[in-house]
Amino acid sequence: MVRPIEQIFPGLRGTAYQVTSPQDEAYNCIAWAAGDNQQWWWPDEAGQPDSAHWPPGVLRVETLDAFRQAFATLGYVVCNDDLVEGGFEKIALFALSGRPKHAARQLSSGRWTSKLGPMEDIEHELHDVTGMVYGSVVLLMKRPIPN
Amino acid sequence: MATVPAKQNPETPAETVAERFRRLEATWLAEVGYSSSSTALRSHPAFQEIIQLGEAVVPLMLRDLEERPRLWVWALPPITGADPVPECDRGNIAKMSAAWLRWGRDHGYQW
Repeated sequence: MVRPIEQIFPGLRGTAYQVTSPQDEAYNCIAWAAGDNQQWWWPDEAGQPDSAHWPPGVLRVETLDAFRQAFATLGYVVCNDDLVEGGFEKIALFALSGRPKHAARQLSSGRWTSKLGPMEDIEHELHDVTGMVYGSVVLLMKRPIPN
Repeated sequence: MATVPAKQNPETPAETVAERFRRLEATWLAEVGYSSSSTALRSHPAFQEIIQLGEAVVPLMLRDLEERPRLWVWALPPITGADPVPECDRGNIAKMSAAWLRWGRDHGYQW
């Protein structure tokens, strides 16, 4: 029987992905990639009772550039590959039709960790969540691992 | 004299508000539960229909918030017209959930 997660992300079928947390609505993929499991990050409308967190000074629009700038506030710069690089951590941004949909963070093992919206965290190979929900990797960024 | 047999009600029992709430929640999570976009999650028809259920679902949401932080903190403002979350806590779903639980107690809700 195909698990619900594998129906949404067929690329995970038959792979060694792992669910690494219970369902948790406290944070989302962008927060998780940014190393924050306390807030929901999204560039929705500011100043509303239900506004999400978004780094101050970064445009609250669903564009790749706004997401790049959001991660730049944490010290990330654009890089060219998803290979493990000593002393650095990397994030990958996924987009569908040019709109950002997802972010994943590289682990020291070279595998990636993703928070699936308000659902669970998983550990997976980077491109196994590519598809109609998250689109594909459109941007890679890296920063020195904080001390 | 022949009698007409009592007509049986072919309809299933009416869905309660709680049942409808859970059905809509399940639909919402099944259809956009893997999205990180607060815009997509909030604008989904099932989420909007939950908001339309109105005050009757507030205790159900507060009961859920008591168990763990939930995204019902996005539905409660349009249902109640209240905004008990300090601006500095917006985006922090756990603190927002705690603020709504305080608000619920202060306004006499029981769950």
